[in-house]
Amino acid sequence: MSRFTEDEIKQKVKEGYILESPDEMTEGYRKALIVQLLVQADTELMSAPAYWMAAQDAPSINTQVSAVAIIQDEIAHANIAYRILEDMGLDKEQLIYGRAPNEFKHPYGFDQPLESWAELVTANGFFDRAGITLLSDVYKNTSYGPLKRALVKVDLEETFHLRHGEVWMRRLAQAGGPVKEQLQRAVDWMFPMTIEWFGLPDTMKRHSGQLEYRLKGMTNDELRQTWMSATVPLCESLGLRAPAHFDAGKGEYVLDFPFPCEYDDAAKVWDFAGGQIGWDRVFERWKARGPMNEIYVESVRRSHGPLKSMMAAA
Amino acid sequence: MTEREARLWSALREVLDPEIPISLVDLGLIYAVREAGPRVEVDLTFTATACPCMDFIREDIRTRLLRESDVEEVAIREVWDPPWTVARLTPEGREALRRFGVAA
Repeated sequence: MSRFTEDEIKQKVKEGYILESPDEMTEGYRKALIVQLLVQADTELMSAPAYWMAAQDAPSINTQVSAVAIIQDEIAHANIAYRILEDMGLDKEQLIYGRAPNEFKHPYGFDQPLESWAELVTANGFFDRAGITLLSDVYKNTSYGPLKRALVKVDLEETFHLRHGEVWMRRLAQAGGPVKEQLQRAVDWMFPMTIEWFGLPDTMKRHSGQLEYRLKGMTNDELRQTWMSATVPLCESLGLRAPAHFDAGKGEYVLDFPFPCEYDDAAKVWDFAGGQIGWDRVFERWKARGPMNEIYVESVRRSHGPLKSMMAAA
Repeated sequence: MTEREARLWSALREVLDPEIPISLVDLGLIYAVREAGPRVEVDLTFTATACPCMDFIREDIRTRLLRESDVEEVAIREVWDPPWTVARLTPEGREALRRFGVAA
């Protein structure tokens, strides 16, 4: 175990110390990093079946090729995080094939069906943007050396996913008519979904192990603001309605809907009229998982058994 | 190489790969540039037949060359022979990839 105490390691990382091996970790550091890596790994992995579902609606062979290449990237990104967890002593096979679907730690947004090209490209523009916002903060601030180095490639590839999303959102918006309306409906459910992804408001967060161990640098609200500073101008420039705006007086982005609120996952509609709900209700909704949770996990696992048998027989 | 061709190659040097900030020229993807009055032809290949960025690369080339005042038409020809390999990277390209942690 580590030669540091919890207080010592917190002080050291505050001073810029970079850990290079699991041996240096205290129990608290290790636990906090495992949670963060599982969220990252599970999110990347589960974006694959979600994006694959939507890629069925790709308008041409070449565009479907682009979508498949993006999916391949996401699986590789997942493997990067699972590999680091493996180096920390966890069992990658058990994590991917052994956990119950509701034990996966990806956000609620990736338990939802993506049913059209419009939803796929909005996912690129919003969800991949959230991914980059979180991961570039980790890259800049993480005190764990192996993760920092591994994120270089991830950040570069996510940048392309983002560009893919934004270019396609522009094309669909410019097409106008029912095509633009379909895009607007995607924005309507996916914008608040991503806002929720960033978690509890800072005023409600009691303490953050991730900040104390320097596994991230920005707070939830700061990350939310960073995300909005890209997505709100994007929507405005495309003539799409985003439920947020920049308040010059406050010098920050302000939500134009009660946050948090209820979500109807069958209709894909947020219940703004129902008003603000407590975060305990949100955690209940997250715990109950979304409609695609079991289907997505099963689709990632489907060939595992047969493939193992084939390899054993070879 | 004519002075105009040299200027067009310089312009293409500014067009970066959509994923990794390396010039398409340093990646060795531009096989030829031909100019005839207001029309410019570019012979272009990709690092893989399933490159996801093909449309983006074509659009970026078109946009950059059309910014030249004497270019009115850009024709991009996809060429798959000779096949691209890492041998086509320039030394600058190789160095840039190394800096971004990508082996070549």
